[in-house]
Amino acid sequence: MSQVFWQDRLRLYGTVWRVQFKNNWVREAVYRMNFLSSFGVDIVWIGIELSLFAVIYSNVPVLAGWTKYQVYFFLGIFFSSDALFTIFFQRNFFNFSDLVNKGELDILLTKPVHPLFLALTRWMNVSAFFNFLMGIFIAVHYSEPAGFQGGARWLLLIFWLLVGLASAVLIRFAFAVWIFWTDRNWALLRLYYQFFAFATKPDPIYPNVIRYLILTALPFAFIGSVPARALLHGLQAWEYLALVLVLLGFFALNTMLWRKGLKRYQSASS
Amino acid sequence: MSGRAANIRRGLGLGLGWRVAALKNGFRDATVYRIEFISEIFGAAFVPAAIQAVLWYAIFKVGGATEIAGMNYSELVRYTLATILFTQIRGGDHDFELMEMIRTGQLSNYLLRPVGVIEFVYIRGVASRLLIAGICLLLGMGVGIWFGLSPGRMLGAMFLAVLGNVIHYQIGSVLATIAFLWEDAYSLLMVKNMAVSILSGELLPLNLFPEATQWVWKSLPFYLYVFGPAQYALGHWSHVEFARNLAIAFLWILFFWGAIRISWKWGMKTYVSVGG
Repeated sequence: MSQVFWQDRLRLYGTVWRVQFKNNWVREAVYRMNFLSSFGVDIVWIGIELSLFAVIYSNVPVLAGWTKYQVYFFLGIFFSSDALFTIFFQRNFFNFSDLVNKGELDILLTKPVHPLFLALTRWMNVSAFFNFLMGIFIAVHYSEPAGFQGGARWLLLIFWLLVGLASAVLIRFAFAVWIFWTDRNWALLRLYYQFFAFATKPDPIYPNVIRYLILTALPFAFIGSVPARALLHGLQAWEYLALVLVLLGFFALNTMLWRKGLKRYQSASS
Repeated sequence: MSGRAANIRRGLGLGLGWRVAALKNGFRDATVYRIEFISEIFGAAFVPAAIQAVLWYAIFKVGGATEIAGMNYSELVRYTLATILFTQIRGGDHDFELMEMIRTGQLSNYLLRPVGVIEFVYIRGVASRLLIAGICLLLGMGVGIWFGLSPGRMLGAMFLAVLGNVIHYQIGSVLATIAFLWEDAYSLLMVKNMAVSILSGELLPLNLFPEATQWVWKSLPFYLYVFGPAQYALGHWSHVEFARNLAIAFLWILFFWGAIRISWKWGMKTYVSVGG
């Protein structure tokens, strides 16, 4: 394939994404109260997570080697990473089961772009952008007492946020794709959110079995904990390798399941 | 006289009749999707308990602490195990259902029927919680014997947890009336549930809160959902303390009963059905 071909494809995808972003922005601007209320809910959620650790640290000085400020720094990274997922992907995953169950995937399969691209980028939640900023603010505010060296290392934050986002998308997709085989994936969705709770704490606090699980088979630690650890102390060589292998493994598994799922897909719209 | 008495009896029978029918429907709904019902119970019990257990592990086993807020490791683990039983009772999404009915105009269907809509939605929704409460009670009484817990205390604690469930729904019903005014009361109900997760004691024993902030949970009814029942079941509350908190629970129920009447009366005046 020529370079021109890829440039054209990239331009096409860029244009489609830009149009979708514009549509979503207009919708958010119309439902202003919804915009404000979802912002409010996330602020309360952030407040509760911070309060939980404030209560714990009012009783102990250190938790599995993590000081209060290091945990707050981790929470800042986690909130930002999660907000990125909320902005760009969450609504699409909520609607994913309808695409398959109601046959709405038909129309996406006829478009001249990859159906998965459309399925996962159509809806955005622009209001979560404030939560992203809030997460960044928390991370920046507690970076110094947490022992983060700052300076040029802040550039690494962008990389680690993208790692967190990619991990969240890959894990969420691995839970969502089973809709091709099940009529209702409500139970799996609940299970996802139950496991997601493990992402809201730094991974060193977990016993070895759970820690191993959230660093391999269910890599929820890659959303916030591993990025925060990498920024604060750096990771060991095997951890970088494990990160790459696990994410590639999930990518391969998801691709295989998507292809098998598509073969099984029967339009429900006719 | 006998005709009047028969009318009263018939009236009472009718009133009880729809309530029993709604409860039966609720039980049927809860047990149709058995796998999901079981996975919900498992998930709702496992995750908060696992997070608590992990925190105790990190504080005591990794951190080497021997006591926090006057409690040692085994006491905190016992608290965690007790909360597994009571967190199952406190939930229920029927306040979200009420909000959705107002928002979509489905409320109109219920206004034409000779049943109280708030009570109807609650009774139908509470069936699954009662089923879980029964299972948890048997489990608590059975397993509790190994831990030296009194079955009588377990029964009392479960009763308090069920009252907590009533209060939880009442608060949700009042908040749902915001939907009369504003298209989406969902956020308020979510905020309430988030506040409950930390202030009910399902994530942490509330006596771990710093002294200066203890007033926060003491002045709200949420501690009656999980922390209160766990304290009584574990023998940390005397019978007198339990009776006092039971009275407090009834006062909250009375308070929110009044709040429901006022807020729904106001809401119905502003209600515009959009149902087809």
